[in-house]
Formats: sequence, C-alpha cells, structure tokens
Amino acid sequence: MWERLREWFSERKQKLDLFDETNVERYDNPLYLLGQIVYFSWIVVIASGILLMIWYEPTTHGAYTSILRIQHEIPFGWLIRGMHKYGADMLIIAITLRIYRMYFLGEYKRPNELSWMILFGSLVLAMISGLTGYLLIWNQRAFWAAKVVLTVAVYLDELPLIGRTRFGSAIAFAFLGGPAEGQGTLTRFYAIHFGISVLLLILVELYFIFTRRKRFNLSPTAIGILLLMLVAASWIFPAEMGRRADPNRTPLPILSDWYFLALYQYVKYTPPLWAGLGPGLLIAYGMLVPFLDRSKGRRPSERPFFTVVGVMALTYFLVFTALILFNIAVIGRDPHIVLIITALTLTLGFLLEIRYRRKVRAAEAAAPKPAPRAVPAARPAPSSGA
Amino acid sequence: MGSMAEEQRAKGVNRRTFLQVVAGIPAVGALLAFAAPLLRYLKPNLEPGLGVPQGKVPPDLAEGDLPKGEPLPIARLEELAEPWSSKFFVFTQKYPQYTPEQAKAATVPGVAIKLPWKVRFPGYRGGREPTDIVVFSRICPHLGCIFNYVPDWREITAGYGGYMPPPDRRHGLLGCPCHLSIYDPADREVPGRVLSGPAPRPPRYFVYEIQNGVIVVTAVEPGGIA
Repeated sequence: MWERLREWFSERKQKLDLFDETNVERYDNPLYLLGQIVYFSWIVVIASGILLMIWYEPTTHGAYTSILRIQHEIPFGWLIRGMHKYGADMLIIAITLRIYRMYFLGEYKRPNELSWMILFGSLVLAMISGLTGYLLIWNQRAFWAAKVVLTVAVYLDELPLIGRTRFGSAIAFAFLGGPAEGQGTLTRFYAIHFGISVLLLILVELYFIFTRRKRFNLSPTAIGILLLMLVAASWIFPAEMGRRADPNRTPLPILSDWYFLALYQYVKYTPPLWAGLGPGLLIAYGMLVPFLDRSKGRRPSERPFFTVVGVMALTYFLVFTALILFNIAVIGRDPHIVLIITALTLTLGFLLEIRYRRKVRAAEAAAPKPAPRAVPAARPAPSSGA
Repeated sequence: MGSMAEEQRAKGVNRRTFLQVVAGIPAVGALLAFAAPLLRYLKPNLEPGLGVPQGKVPPDLAEGDLPKGEPLPIARLEELAEPWSSKFFVFTQKYPQYTPEQAKAATVPGVAIKLPWKVRFPGYRGGREPTDIVVFSRICPHLGCIFNYVPDWREITAGYGGYMPPPDRRHGLLGCPCHLSIYDPADREVPGRVLSGPAPRPPRYFVYEIQNGVIVVTAVEPGGIA
C-alpha cells in the first residue's frame, strides 16, 4: 500500500502545475492566464507589503494613525497601500476564478488532484492572510470581523468527545493572545499575515528551482496592463480607512472583506456550532472533490451532479453577499427556504446524474452490437457501465 | 507495476515492510511526544508558577486564567426608578498575560435594566431573592458583538430581522445587530431568554449588590471572549 501511495504521489508531483505554467499554449484563452495572474499579483502584494512595513506601527494605539499617515501624508503612500489592497483582491479573485475553471472543466481529475488540492488550500491561506492583514488597520470593521471569526472557533468545544479537550478555545486563544481582543491579537495577526507569505514564497521558490520552470510567462504588455489596472484602482478608489476600532461599540451592520460576506449571512442563519462546521465541511468537500467525483468525462454535461453542486455554491455565494449588503435577513423564515432550496437542488442534481448515466448505458448497449465477434466468447466482457 | 503490486499482495506483507512499520510507529510516537509540549508556546496566558518567580503573580490573579475586575458602582436606585429605564456602563477586567504588569485589561460593556416585575436573577444574591433589576453583560453570547437594549420593541421588529414578539413580550428587549439574536431581559423564568436568532444561551449576567442605594457590580459570569 505504501508503495502504491508513493507511486500515486510521484505521478502527481511530476504533473504538478501551480500557476498554469504548463498551459502556455492555451494562453490565448484568458481563463488560462489566471494562474499567472495569481503569481503576478502575489509578487505585487509581497513587494508592496514590505514597503508598507517601513511605516506601519503594529500597536493598538498607533496602527490606525500610522495607516492614516501612509494614506495621506507619505509621498506615494496611497499608491503602495492601494497596490497592496487591490493586489490582494486581484489575487483572491484570480484564485477563485481558477478554482471555478478547474471545477467546471473537470481539471481536478487525474493527474491534477494534487495541483487542485494545493490550489484550494492556497485559497484558504489567502483568505486567512486577508483576515489577519485586515485587522492590522485596527478599524471597526476589522475588529469585529476578527472577533466574530475567532469566537466561532470557541463553539468547536461543543463537539462530542473531542470537544472535551477544549481545542476550539485553544485555537481562539492562540490567535487572540488572550481571552480578549487586544495588543496580543494584533501582534499575532501581524506575525501570521507576514508568515504565511514568507513560508509559501520559500516553498514556491523551491518548486520553481526543482522543476526548472519559468516563473513569469506573461508578456510585458500583459504585465503592464495588470499594473496599470492596480494603479488606476488605487487612484480612483483610494483604499478605505473606516473608523478607529472601538471595543465597546459594534457598528451596524457589521461587514467584512467582500469574500467573507456570504459567510457572514450564513452565520446569521445557523446555530453557532454550525457556523464553524459549515465552512469546515465546505473546505473538506473542496479538498476531497477529486476523489468523490468518479465520473469519466470532464465536460460539465458529463457529470451533472457535480456541475449542479458547483452552480449552487456559486449562486449561494452571490445571493448571500447581496442579502447581507442590502441587510435583508428574516431569521424565522430564511433558513427553511435555504434548506428546502438546497435539498431540491441536490435532488435535481442526483436525478440528472441518474438520467445521464442511463443514457450513457443505453448508448453503450446499443453501440457494441455491430461487432460482437471481436470479443472472444470464452472471456466475459468487462462491465464497463458500472 | 500492477502485476508487481499484485504479487506482493499475494505474498502478504514482506519482512522489510513489517520491520519498518514496527520500528517506525514508536519512532514517530516518540517524536510527537517531544514535539507536543512545544504547542505550549502558542498559549497566551500566564499561569501562576509557570516561569514566573513565586510571589510575583498578583494575588487577585492567583486562580488560574479567569479575568478579575474591581467592584464598580454603576447607578443610584433613583436613576432606575421608571420601569424599562436602563443604564449603560463599562466594567474593566484584568486577565493574566505576559506583560510587565503580568496582566492586561479588557472591558466588558454592560447594561442595568429596571423591570416592572420581580424575577429571580442569578446575579443578585445567587438568585435566592427576587429582584426587579437585572444587569447583563452586553457581549453577545453568540459571537461576541455588543448588543443593544432597545426600550421600544417596534424598533426591534424594524431593525433586527423582522422578529415580531408575542403580545406578552411587547416591551423593552435586547437585540444584537450582528446576527440578529433577540433576548427578553424580563422573562419570568430565565431572565435574558433567547427569543429569536442563532444565540445558544442567554447573555452573561453581572453579579451585583445594592450598597446604600447604589448598584455595585462586582463580577461577571465567566466565559466568552471580550
């Protein structure tokens, strides 16, 4: 078994593709530029982040003021900060779109399972990096976002058996640096925010050194256009500051970075233990989907169930984001509607899958008829339909 | 490769693999045993006697990791004469932490509410005597936002997810803006009962005494993140 696992791993390792660098011949399709955009925006974020560290002060008293200064007083501070913020947004958008591309085109299938898992894990790390980086401003929105997210972890203590170890509280305390959100939290978040990128950068560099692949495959024109987009965004929509964090006043409504908004709406609807388990299950589904999806085809129409699940996830993401932005939530009614829609959609996906498989089996049964003599009578035909 | 693997499987586990596994499991176990205590590095709190010279731990922090606060007078009884009147306050607690003072402060906002009837409130004499003043921590027991006391229930219906209280609860209510949990501070059995929303339990209570006509809070129910 050990041998087979190693073989599985080495085959995936050879086919590993982190930034679409093996898809160069498909670059006329913008969907295949996404991996390169991920790498590019990540480098922009790292470079601008280092520049921001020169002026940033990681204390509860000084953080907000130091960023005000970066934004308004220091020459080109607004540009560096804008590049950091919009570069990070670009990174998240590109990873997300790439995940959807790989999902709907079945690109997570053999031999790309490992690439998919790494990509999916990197989205989670990027979101953690976003959350930890966001708190560094020490404004109202970030303060309450961090508090809410870390309190969710405490409810993992309610799990049967493993909850007794109080590992949920341990996680929350390790991030918070104490039973309250304060200087300890800021210091730790600063370390995590910086650490994630440093560790990943080392790993990615090793990857490029060992595979001897080219890091940047984008043309200078493409890089110019992307840079111009970031500069224009930071100039036209200067990164916002919000209000200074106040531990004794919760803003109404509380919001977060755009990629957490749907999650926030979900948290309103569920008991708090599920607020932690739900996203955990979603991540688990994402990580395991290459092994759950045993269908042969790669096109969306050839694996209806997984296509329906993907469309549903995308729709929920957009609808929940819209609902929280317009501050619509009727606690007594909405969760039932969501549950019913989910159940119906999953049933629909299941039925479509069955119908599709029946059709395939019918086609297979009809096809081999013309040449029955080709198969030796002694050996029974392998059951390919199952 | 398939045939080789099949051959191996037919033979069963070979000697080398067996020995590797037998030697490997204890080796990995020992490594984990050495590594596990290093997780202690991540734990923030300062436990008495752990790396701190004896006697340097402040005496009020001597009982484990629980935060402690000083008694705080919050209101005179006349200020809360009218039913459904309320008084907001902020209680400061200290919790053990690696700082020069060995402790850090965190604030817990609270609210005292005068009820038109008496209830058994666990924060007043352990719930043994009924009282018409309830004092709650405003940190939402759900996910830690600061909730509000809303004297007019119509505002709750308008701004907190459309919850319509039943006729006998149309009075001052507690509502959390983050995830729309609603509590009834005046519930006759469980003051702070959850009426709607995702909250798993009533808000945490303050322990208070009445000294010479002044409400003095002395402690807050432990738990939660401030």
